[in-house]
Formats: sequence, C-alpha cells, structure tokens
Amino acid sequence: MSRKVMKDEYLEKLWNMKENEKRAVDDLKSLINGNLNFDTIDELASEDLVEFIEDSGKITLTEKGKDYAREIIRAHRLAERLIYDVIGGDYELAACEFEHTITRELVDGVCTLLGHPRECPHGMPIPEGECCTHSARYIETSIIPLTELKAGQSARIAYITRACDQRLHKLDSLQTRPGAMIKMHQKYPCHVVECEGVNIALDNDVASSIHVWKESRHFQSIANERKRLNERTN
Amino acid sequence: MQIVKKRNNISNPRPAKKIAIVGLPNTGKSQIFNNLTGDYTIVANYPLTTIEIKKARCRIGNQLYEITDTPGLHCLYIHSEEEIVVREMLFAEKPDVIIQCIDANRLKQSLTLTADLLELGIPMVISLNVIDETIKRGIWIDSSGLSRLLGVPVVESMAVYGRGMEDLKNAITNARRGRLGFRYGEIVENGISAVESELTEHDGYKRKLSVLVLMQDPFLEDHLKKGCDEEKLARIRDAAREVRRQFRGNISLAMNNKRSRWVDDVAEKVVRKQKMAPGEFFQTFASLCRHPVHGIPILMAIVFIMYLLVVNVANVLAGWMDGTLWVPVQNQINSRVSAGFWNDFLIGDYGVLSLGLANAFITVLPILTVFFIMFGILEDTGYIPNLCVLTKRIFDRLGLSGAAIMPLVLGFGCKTMATLTTKSLRSKRERYISIYLIAFAIPCAAQMGLNMSILGRMGAGAFAIAFAVLAFVEIVAGVVLNRILKEEDRSDFIQELPAMRLPSMKAVLVKTYYRLYWFLKEAVPVFVYAALILFGLEKTGILEAAKNALRPVITGFLGLPLDMVEGLILCMARHEAAAAFIIKLIEKDQMNFIQCIVAVTVTTMFVPCFANIMAMIKELGAKSAITMVVVINMSAFAIGGVLNRALVGLSELL
Repeated sequence: MSRKVMKDEYLEKLWNMKENEKRAVDDLKSLINGNLNFDTIDELASEDLVEFIEDSGKITLTEKGKDYAREIIRAHRLAERLIYDVIGGDYELAACEFEHTITRELVDGVCTLLGHPRECPHGMPIPEGECCTHSARYIETSIIPLTELKAGQSARIAYITRACDQRLHKLDSLQTRPGAMIKMHQKYPCHVVECEGVNIALDNDVASSIHVWKESRHFQSIANERKRLNERTN
Repeated sequence: MQIVKKRNNISNPRPAKKIAIVGLPNTGKSQIFNNLTGDYTIVANYPLTTIEIKKARCRIGNQLYEITDTPGLHCLYIHSEEEIVVREMLFAEKPDVIIQCIDANRLKQSLTLTADLLELGIPMVISLNVIDETIKRGIWIDSSGLSRLLGVPVVESMAVYGRGMEDLKNAITNARRGRLGFRYGEIVENGISAVESELTEHDGYKRKLSVLVLMQDPFLEDHLKKGCDEEKLARIRDAAREVRRQFRGNISLAMNNKRSRWVDDVAEKVVRKQKMAPGEFFQTFASLCRHPVHGIPILMAIVFIMYLLVVNVANVLAGWMDGTLWVPVQNQINSRVSAGFWNDFLIGDYGVLSLGLANAFITVLPILTVFFIMFGILEDTGYIPNLCVLTKRIFDRLGLSGAAIMPLVLGFGCKTMATLTTKSLRSKRERYISIYLIAFAIPCAAQMGLNMSILGRMGAGAFAIAFAVLAFVEIVAGVVLNRILKEEDRSDFIQELPAMRLPSMKAVLVKTYYRLYWFLKEAVPVFVYAALILFGLEKTGILEAAKNALRPVITGFLGLPLDMVEGLILCMARHEAAAAFIIKLIEKDQMNFIQCIVAVTVTTMFVPCFANIMAMIKELGAKSAITMVVVINMSAFAIGGVLNRALVGLSELL
C-alpha cells in the first residue's frame, strides 16, 4: 500500500468516526484492523490534517483534514453507487481503489450522471459537491427519481436509496430492484407502478427513493452490459 | 455426526403428518385449504383476507394430514408483525410438508420465498395457481422445467374451480426436499458455518437461521432467545459481527442480491412471454377504477347499484317473505293463543318469535343475502384494494400513512377482521388511530346492507345525507386524533394491487352461504336472548322506568321516538337486531325522514359489536379499548344530537 493510499485510508476512517461522534485513537485502531501506523499519523499531523493529543488519546480531523476527507468519502460512496447498483459488480473492493485515483472533475461527472444521489448503498450520506449545488441546473442528469416519470412511461431502475431500510427488502420481494423495468401508470392520488407484471401503489416518499435511468440509447447499452455481466457470473 | 438413531419417531409414531400452506398474500392459500379439507375460510381477491392461522385435518390415501392455512408471507426475512406469526409457526411446528402457493402471474415475486423455503430443507410441493390467466396474458410457464430446476413437484391448478386438486394430492405424497441452486460467496458461507456450529439440532433449520442471523433480521433474536442462553447468544452475535467485519460491504444486501440473481435465472428459464400481450379489458378497467377523475364516479355507481338492489330486490323480498311466511304464523298463533302473557311472549312487541326469530329470518336475512352476494362479487373482482389508491390523499390528512389504509378499507367488510389486520402497522400511533376509526363511523358489510335498506325506505336523499355525515364525522375524528397523538415515524405505503378478474359465481355463492350460515349461527341466539331480556324488562316495568329516565336524551336531544330505547338496547346485543327494529318502527309509521337519518348514524357509530370490542382489547389492551368504546358511544350521542338539531333547523329554513 503506497503512503498516499494509507493516508487516505486513515482520513476516511477518521471521517467515519466523525459521523459516529467518536474520537478515541482506540476506535481508529479497531477500524483499521489492529495495527496503527504512528508514522502515518505523525505525517498527517505535520500536514495539519489531523489533530492528535497523545495524553488523552483523542484524534480528530482538522478543518483542512475534513475538506480532504470529504472528497475521498464522496468519491468512495459515489463509486459504490455506480459500481454496485448500476454496473452490478463487487462494489467494496473496486470502490476502495477508485477513490484514490480519481480527480474531482471525474467525481462530479459521476455524481451528475447518477442524478446527484444523497446516500451510498449502505445508507450513509454522500457529501455534496459543487456540481450538486449549481452545475445540476445546467448539465442534464441521466438518472431521475421515479416521481419524474410521466404516466405511461417506462424506465429501468438504476438504484434505490436507503439501502439499510426494511423498505428495500419489501421492494425487493416485489421484484422492484436495480435493473428491473418499471412502468408508471398513474401519479395521482398516489403513484401506481407496474413491475414484473404486478401493480403496486406507492406513496411519494417511497417513489422518490427509487431512481431510474432516463431512457436513451446510450444508457440502455449500459443496462444491457450489466445484464450480460450478470449472466457471465452465473 | 449422529450415530445413535433417534428412536422416539418409531416408538411414538405421530398420527397425522403436518402440512403448512404458505405463500405470498393473495395467492389462493385459503382456497387450496378449503379444497383439501372441505372446511371453509373466507377467500377473496385481495391480500390480508386470512389473518390468523387455521388448522383442519384431512385424509389423503391412507395418511392422515393436519393442514395449516397461514396469512401471506413475502420471505423469511420478516417485514412486519403479521408475517412473524407464519415464520414462528414454521419454526415451532416443523411441518412435514410445505405447500407453497404461487400465483402463476407473479411467479418471479414468489420465487424469492421459494428460495427461502428451500433453504429450510423441508419437503415441498409447489401449487402453481391461476394458471388459466397466464395463458390469457400471453405467458407460458414450463412447470415441469420448474420442477426439475427446484427438485420439487410443481402442480398446475385453478383453485377457485377446484381443478388440479388430484394432482396436488398425489404431489403431497411425493413431496421431497428441493435443491437450492446457489451458494453465497466464500466469506458468507464460512460465516454461515460459524453461526451454524453454535446452533443445536433443537434449534432446527440451522442453515436458514444462520442466514437470517447474518442478514440481521430484526425479529430473529426474540426467536433465538427461546432456545439459547445469554452466553450462546453472545457467541452467535460475535460470529456474525466477525463475518460482517470481514465482508466490509452491506452483507444483507449482497446476500439478497445473490438470491435475486437466482430468481432471475430461474424465471428466465421457465417463463416464456409473447411479445404482444393481448389487450386486457380488466387491466384497463382497474386503472379506470383508481383514476382520480373516473374512479370517483365508478365508486359512486357501484354504491348506487348496490343501494338500488337492496331497496328494490331485498326490501321487496323481505316484504314478500313477511306476507307469505310470517303473517300466517302470526294469524295461527292469534287464533290459538288468546291475548295475554303467552301471546305477548310469542308474538308481542318483544316476543321470542316476532322480535327474535322473525326479525332474524324475515327482516334481516333477505337483506344480508342480497348485500353479501354483491359484496362477494366486489371482493372477488379485486376492486376493493383500488380504493386504497383513490382515498390515499384523504388518509394522508388523517395522519395515516400507507400501511393503515388497507385495514380501514377492509373495515367495510368486517370490522373485527380489519381491527386484527392493524397488526401489520409498525407505528403504535397509527395502530391506535386506525383501530379507533374502524370502530367508529365505518359500517361493516352487514351494517351497510341494512342501512341501505332502512334509508332506502326514505329515498336516496336520506342515504346520501347519512353517509355524507358518517364520512364527515370519520374525517373529523381522524384529524382530531392526528392532532392529539404524538407524531412518530410513518410506515411506508407499498401496496400490491391484485389483478382484477371476473369472479366465479359458484365461489361467490359458497362464500355468501357461509357468511349467512355464520350470521344465523351466531346472531339468532343473540336475537332470541335479547328479545327475552326486553320481554323481562317490559313485564317487570324496568323498561318503562328506563324509558322515562332516558326520555330527555332520546326524544328531546336526539329527536327520536321513545321506542328507540329498545333499539339501542338491541344495538348493544347485535347491530342487525337494532336495524330490524328500526325497520319495524318505519313500517309502523313511527319514524320520519330526519329520525331515520339520525337513527342510522347513531346506531352505526354506537357500541361496536362484541367481536370487534374483543379484537380491540386484543390489539390495544383492555384499558385503552374500553376507554375508546366509551368515547365512541359518547361521541355517537353527541353527533346524533347535533345532527338532529341541524336537520330540523334546515328543514324549517326550507
């Protein structure tokens, strides 16, 4: 593991600790699987990315460190969304590599392509990038929430947010999951969709958690690619 | 490895083999149960018809079987309380054979459950139901191919028509353990073995339990606690945590994904679809029924047709039965028993025969017959769940999110059953609101039919006013409860809508027959006892005293004839008895237009029936349930009084 990758991993774990409001160095130790490399920590501290107080055993990200970690986390979680839901691969392994090699422009591109998702497949928040706040208005996204389909339109499901919820299991048992075709029948008084030959009524909340590919030839081919990939793994 | 063979199977042979019928909601489980056992449970074309486990025995060949009918189940990873009943039954009873009912139109949805059931390792049979409809839809299922893939017998059937039952019986005797054609990844499989090694034979279904442990099923720990001590439980938790740590990703999602791919694969191999699906009349009709513009007129038309049939067929039928069956009996008794105690006892105002039997058989039965036939047709077409869609916005206002809608809509069938289905709601607050609303101003099917008959005698206007008032009251109650009760997490609204179809007339008639049979069995004794009690109260003078005491409320506040005191007493015993009593008052010309409306709204809201109160106690506990009943009764009177004032005021203005 190169030193940069190692540092990135540490910053990523520290961000996770921040999300869980943890700051003990022991927590970091358990997240990193046992062996803490204090050289790395020293290096991070000297670059003013982390603050480490040895006496109290507290380790936290500095403001600069937060900005840095935020980018890594954003890349990682977007990559999970892309690789896991859209392409259907083994997301964890690939996403870990992805975050170290990718530029910010590329991350924003992926984010826009995916319709600025708010959560990774684990249900963790994806930090917002610049693209989410302004570019979104100018660049057309390829994935839209189901609620934006017109009655009578069909689309393929790209991903469903809130992965850790029981909602996902329920939808899954109705075969409503990434890769499936879904047809919007009506939008008022509530959404009625058809998926795998079954009509399902959904409230607005559930419907807007389902994201679909906007129909276009290019993305159809990605979906087909995904299917082929599945067949090969089987 | 087990070397010593268990002997208790030999020395203590079980008399009956156990069969569990399981499947997704609305896949014909109860119909198969009825066909196999010759018993009857209510079937209809919508989910949640069966909410409790039911057992009956039957003989196939020389073997005695105990068959269990269960509520719907999506998969063994549990989403809600009502599904846990089924899983606990499977875990506790360890059936010898499972029959999985699959709606052939929804094969793919069912295969998820199939995968879970195969993992249990219980011999299985698959009943591929409604096979006639798939053909019409341009879908062909290779059932023998499916059987080969799964390694279990697959039987095609049309359960409503009783077709395919012989094949099913043969298949039951040939049921065998299937094979699940997929494994999870290496890390997960190792994890499963690790958890498995902590479980004992006693826990049963080791593999499936381990899978559920890894998937973090929210209800599983309760189950494990029954058989494991704290120490063992901690070891299981540790093993699961270790796997999750190694895996790093969302393990439950990844496992689901494996299963989903298997489902896709199986479906791909056995389902053939025509490219061009034939235009479907029912599909189009269903979408019209829930359309915001066309849906409301359709609903009104359906209600109006039912109203017309009750008024023009049932009321006429009841009148004819009264003339040809009851009047001669009355005359005979009058000629043989001279006026006095015994004449009163038999056919007086509170006679056992007049108020007891004649009311049940001559007044109520014809109305219920006509209404239940129509309601049965409506149920079997699958129209009713579409109402969930139409009324969604109203329920949003009432503070009820999705999951509560179905129970409320089911309240129009039977309030007791509807109250029990609120189990499916996870939020306590929603459960409370919906149980209240079900008990309050929703008329059940029997009440609805009788209300139509009563109000029909006063014209369609009376019917429209009374139901508008009930709807208004219900909405206000919902809004008020919504304000009072603390906001909680809302549950999702994900409601499967059944495909609409032409009902089988035979199935409707059988269902009507059983509903009437149950009504007579339960209600006739109550009618007779109520008559005896009223007779006793009258003869002892207590009734007179009670009437005098209640006069200000009944005649003053509610503006009803004083005799309605008896009506309300009857209402406490059985709503149908009160309705019949009101009909008698109308026939005696003691009720006018306004009084009819007030009487119907008050009796509809007044004291939910006994079974409903018991269901409320079961779901909420005695204290809450009784408070609710008291509040409902007081509101019923208050609303009746206000309604009376308003209607009288209005009629003076006009």
